[in-house]
Amino acid sequence: MSLLSIGRSVGNWWQGDLAYRFRRSPVAILAALVGLALLVAAMGAPVLAPYDAFDPAAANAADARLPPGVEGMFGDVYLLGTDPQGRDMLSAMLYGLRTSLVVGLASVAAAALAGVLLGLMAGYFGGVLDAFIMRAADVQLSFPAILIALLIDGVARTAMPQELHAELAVPILVAAIAASFWVQYARTVRGLVLVERGRDYVLAAKVTGVSTPRILLTHILPNVLGSVLVIATINLALAILTESTLSFLGVGLPSTQPSLGSLVRIGNEFVFSGDWWISALPGLLLVLLSLSVNIFGDWLRDALNPKLAS
Amino acid sequence: MSGHKDTILSVDRLTVRFDASPSLIKRIVTGAGRRTVHAVEEVDFEVTRGSTFALVGESGCGKSTIARTIAGIQPPSGGSVSFMGVDIAGFRTRHAAMPYRRNLQMIFQDPYASLNPRWRVGRIIAEPILTHRLMQRGSALDARVAELLETVGLAPGDAAKFPHQFSGGQRQRISIARALAANPAFIVCDEPTSALDVSVQAQILNLMKRLQRERGLTYLLISHNLAVVAHMADAMGVMYLGRLVEQGDAGQILARPLHPYTRLLLDTVPDPRAPKRDRARLSGEVPSPLAPPTGCAFHPRCPLANARCARERPLPLRVGAALVACHAVEEGRLPSRPSANENCLATSGDAA
Repeated sequence: MSLLSIGRSVGNWWQGDLAYRFRRSPVAILAALVGLALLVAAMGAPVLAPYDAFDPAAANAADARLPPGVEGMFGDVYLLGTDPQGRDMLSAMLYGLRTSLVVGLASVAAAALAGVLLGLMAGYFGGVLDAFIMRAADVQLSFPAILIALLIDGVARTAMPQELHAELAVPILVAAIAASFWVQYARTVRGLVLVERGRDYVLAAKVTGVSTPRILLTHILPNVLGSVLVIATINLALAILTESTLSFLGVGLPSTQPSLGSLVRIGNEFVFSGDWWISALPGLLLVLLSLSVNIFGDWLRDALNPKLAS
Repeated sequence: MSGHKDTILSVDRLTVRFDASPSLIKRIVTGAGRRTVHAVEEVDFEVTRGSTFALVGESGCGKSTIARTIAGIQPPSGGSVSFMGVDIAGFRTRHAAMPYRRNLQMIFQDPYASLNPRWRVGRIIAEPILTHRLMQRGSALDARVAELLETVGLAPGDAAKFPHQFSGGQRQRISIARALAANPAFIVCDEPTSALDVSVQAQILNLMKRLQRERGLTYLLISHNLAVVAHMADAMGVMYLGRLVEQGDAGQILARPLHPYTRLLLDTVPDPRAPKRDRARLSGEVPSPLAPPTGCAFHPRCPLANARCARERPLPLRVGAALVACHAVEEGRLPSRPSANENCLATSGDAA
């Protein structure tokens, strides 16, 4: 594909229905811009952060719990104050934002992949496979998501030595969140596939002799992806909040790897001593992030399918 | 009707049944038994190469099920379908079925559902060609797609458009182009015009006739519209509740129908030239295929039924160029049709 044709297809998109609705919705534009800014800030953390939040040497215990703007013992300026270890809050929050986003995006991607695949198979093949997958989904749904994530994390914690667990904390967290979120994708996709597989265009492909995997991937999948995209966007905010909740409860990431949730937890102990910034600032950032993602997801849902109700 | 060397499709005692049983738990709790839908029962017919065979009947008589079985998307419960001398039930792998799938294509009723809404027309038409590896992607394939579009009366530039940019009739032309793409010998047409405006129907039917003439195509035409059948068919079969009650030369059946059901079907065709004509009425509903009547399936609605009809199933009987399954015909109880009832189809057929 040449650069010209890429440019043309982007141009086509901008002329399209979705882009038109986007341009007409200031709320969606604002949410997208805030989300994009946060994404850039998180991914640019190593460059943007004034201090390395992972380096214990960069933290100065003498500068612990300094309020925003106060100068440190050796002349360091901490724009947003420091945490109990003397770590710069701004740097910790940027790195924390990155961790939260990575965990959120990865768990949504894993859940969507597993859910779409299982939903496609359940819907298209039906029978015993369908019954098995959907009953597994029912069982999954009867537990709250947090409980499943707690269970997986608890098992991993007991089964592994501590260093290994600290190292694998992110993948374990991703798996735990994905395990509780795949059901929604599987159910939605299955329902859509049940409708699509009886459509004449699928039968026409069958009559022609197109193979089943090809029918699933080229005919049915593109027709269900819109709904998957909507769920994924709305779930992203939920996944980030779940990660923060787990980290706040102390079963998520270790405090050496700051995430927004674990920063809130660390600060929680000092709120009553008047050191509000340690909890409040990462909490505020979390609110901003999940709000912008959620608002964008809501807009996308309405824009793609006005009939789809949550 | 058998033994012709130019027979392309031969359907022998084809039976299709669907299991409509309640769930196992419900059967145990309520004591209900298994239930079976008798969609198609022991249907025999043959289609001559280059001709059009029409299947007519009311909704639910099983004609679409036969079309789907022949198209290979509905496995038969019994009997056999033999296409170009090969039993289609004998294919063990997808690979083995590929030559048959290349030669047999299908046109669907609803032109809004039969084209993938997210595919461009060019990709839709190229799919059979690529599936059967007749050509590689490239300019030659694009040229072939353009040629197919022109064959069905569309512009070559339409390949870049999406299906929703076309009208119903144009979409049906796209369906026809896709069906022609792999150069098939046989096309199953399941109510190809019943979703279209009357003015467009004739265009599509004439296009199908022209393609048949030019390419020697064979059609299996499923329709409930007798005017369409009169316009298109060489031979026809009349179905009632999963069985063929009468089949043979289309002209003869439409002009001189023998089976009481065929007669009633023809009498209910609206005739704009005689709107107040005293017509025979087809009373009652089609019985449920879950529990077909004993004997002749048509006897509860048949004006000529007697005790034997309720008891004994009639066997197909040759009368002239037709096969009729009716005791009244066999026993000579059939009244001659008054000439006033000569239906409008024999004459209006070519105008359709």
